[in-house]
Amino acid sequence: MSILKEFNIKEKISISLEFFSELVFVKRSLYALGASLLLSFFIVQNSPPLFMVSSTLMEADTSTSTSMGNGGAADKLKLFGGLTDNKSGPAEQFSSNMNSYFLAQRMWSKGWGSKIFGNGDMNEEYFNKIPKRHTITDRIGAFISGYDLYDYFSAYDLQGYIKGTIGVRQRVGETSVIISTKTYNKDFATEFMNAVILETDQYAKERLILKSNKIISATYSQLAVSKNSMIASALATTINSEYFTIANLENDLPHLLDIIDPPHSSEYPIAPKVSAIFFSTAIIFLFASILFTFIQKNKEDLW
Amino acid sequence: MVNEYFSLHSYGGTLEYYLFELANFSALAFFVVFLYKLNYINSNSLIAWLAIFFTPLIINYFIIPPSLFGDQFQYAAEAMSLKASGTSAEYTVGDRFGIGNTVTLTAKMLGAVPLPNYMTVTSLAFANKFYLFITFLWLKRFFSNENEVLLYFLIPSIILYSSMGLRDTLCILLSLIFIINLLRDRYVFAVVFLSPLLLLKIQVFAVLLLYLIARLLFRAHKNYYLFMLFFLALLIGGFIWEEEILEVLNLYRLAFAAEDFIAPDGSFSYAAFSVYGVGAEALVLSSVGEAIFKAILNLPMFFIMPLPWNWSNIFYPLQALESWLLIYLYVRLGMKQNLYKNYEFILLTFILLIGSSMYALLMGNEGTFVRYRFSLFYPFLLAAFYLSSASYKDSKK
Repeated sequence: MSILKEFNIKEKISISLEFFSELVFVKRSLYALGASLLLSFFIVQNSPPLFMVSSTLMEADTSTSTSMGNGGAADKLKLFGGLTDNKSGPAEQFSSNMNSYFLAQRMWSKGWGSKIFGNGDMNEEYFNKIPKRHTITDRIGAFISGYDLYDYFSAYDLQGYIKGTIGVRQRVGETSVIISTKTYNKDFATEFMNAVILETDQYAKERLILKSNKIISATYSQLAVSKNSMIASALATTINSEYFTIANLENDLPHLLDIIDPPHSSEYPIAPKVSAIFFSTAIIFLFASILFTFIQKNKEDLW
Repeated sequence: MVNEYFSLHSYGGTLEYYLFELANFSALAFFVVFLYKLNYINSNSLIAWLAIFFTPLIINYFIIPPSLFGDQFQYAAEAMSLKASGTSAEYTVGDRFGIGNTVTLTAKMLGAVPLPNYMTVTSLAFANKFYLFITFLWLKRFFSNENEVLLYFLIPSIILYSSMGLRDTLCILLSLIFIINLLRDRYVFAVVFLSPLLLLKIQVFAVLLLYLIARLLFRAHKNYYLFMLFFLALLIGGFIWEEEILEVLNLYRLAFAAEDFIAPDGSFSYAAFSVYGVGAEALVLSSVGEAIFKAILNLPMFFIMPLPWNWSNIFYPLQALESWLLIYLYVRLGMKQNLYKNYEFILLTFILLIGSSMYALLMGNEGTFVRYRFSLFYPFLLAAFYLSSASYKDSKK
């Protein structure tokens, strides 16, 4: 009872009721809520929906290329640094290939630059000459500092676009990799992500085939001049191993990552949150109305 | 609504961002206006708290890019993941001491505040402001002059750190409530508020645990002999567990040095330190004696940092000025009514010095340690302020 007396609950309740009847339950609050509805409609109408497009991939078994190792001389050569093992996993390899200039160049030559920066015309003459616009500040900066701005979009811009929009993440200890992007155009993003995944894998395969071919040709030339039977045997094993790698890569199967879920868009947009916009605007307007009335009635006390 | 695709979406500085966060501000501001009407706070507090509640909107994105304090995104993503799906965000991993995760606990504590929206990193800053305000309401009960208490909540660093979605405000407030409860001999309450710090900031937990032991077991706040007994026990303990103490100190000394390391080729942090970090042996402490000696040498620098030759942005000279102001306030409180002769104040200052010495030994990145120093110093400053209050003296009669 003493606590209740100390807090003087009766008085506090009466002040609270007075507060609500004077400041909250008034006509002005209704007007404020009406205005907030109008503004919310306007904001929602003018905010394009942003979707999440994602795809789940799983690390493919990339160990086949080394399965020819039999603990013999070729493996020993590797030990001495003759052939270096790639320490990064498939997810890291995929990510670095995806963000590379060479991948962007391949995508560019297939006309993706035109779809992103231009009007989608697949004519090479067109998409190699898509004019690049610069802001006035960029132009002034370039003029003052004396450097040239690029006139046309190039594969570097596409590389920047891929790097800036597509994220690759892998949870610690898991083999699945999630590739995602946020977009206003979900159909285009789905198509583009699909193309990026396939092209990245294809590029990784072609790069390895090229590497194996180079190793084979260099090893053949070494084999031709080698007089030591042990070294000749080791070189032959290396050639066999590289042919095996090529055989593994020259097929339609994915190399680095298997596609578990192909790129697809979220059903609902992640932004704008329509309910949150209506709710927030209502709170802001209601509080503005309360504050206005409060200041009007308590001017003297406050200043 | 549980949305399987829900993730932290950075609204940046867009219209929607300001809309969501203005709604949070409005809710907190409404609460302050209501409390003013109920006569819980005076008009100065009303105006000051309306301004304090508005600061997250000015600081995050507008003045400071939130990426400068990148931890906020972790907490925000975790809070939103917990609210949307009830499970942790996919990159929140780890379990400290088998009892929980620092990020998850921070997100749960900040996410418990009844705000209208949790949409951006700044929403967590508003949650911090709410806790700060509640602590103000609790603390002002012990003082006759509300305006005097309000001034301590207008210190720039507390406004700055509570304007971001970091866990520092929680650490500061938990430490403060722990110390005040300890000073009021309410040990159970004190322990309740100390326990979350084990996950939130283990170094502060260690320092405050030492304070609890000093007060509860040694009664070191009672007289000179008991204080000396605690001091001797601390020294003996230091020598007995020398190996374990040095192991922890050396690990953190190297970690902070590595974090702040910049190699000649421009690479930085741990990766660069692992390649270029020659001379790391010089950082290794070989005895407790050496640790104490180095701590004493570093302590003055720790208290007045950031030093002029390290000022790299506008906040540094302001923080340097503030560090002098805080020391002045603490000394002034100590001198006031001969508080420096009071064993409660002596023990409080001694624990503050131990905590500061520990940080002085680990000192690395200026910005990080200025933040750490403030998180440690501020609760002790307010505790000293409490010791000078009439309420404390009455409770001891």
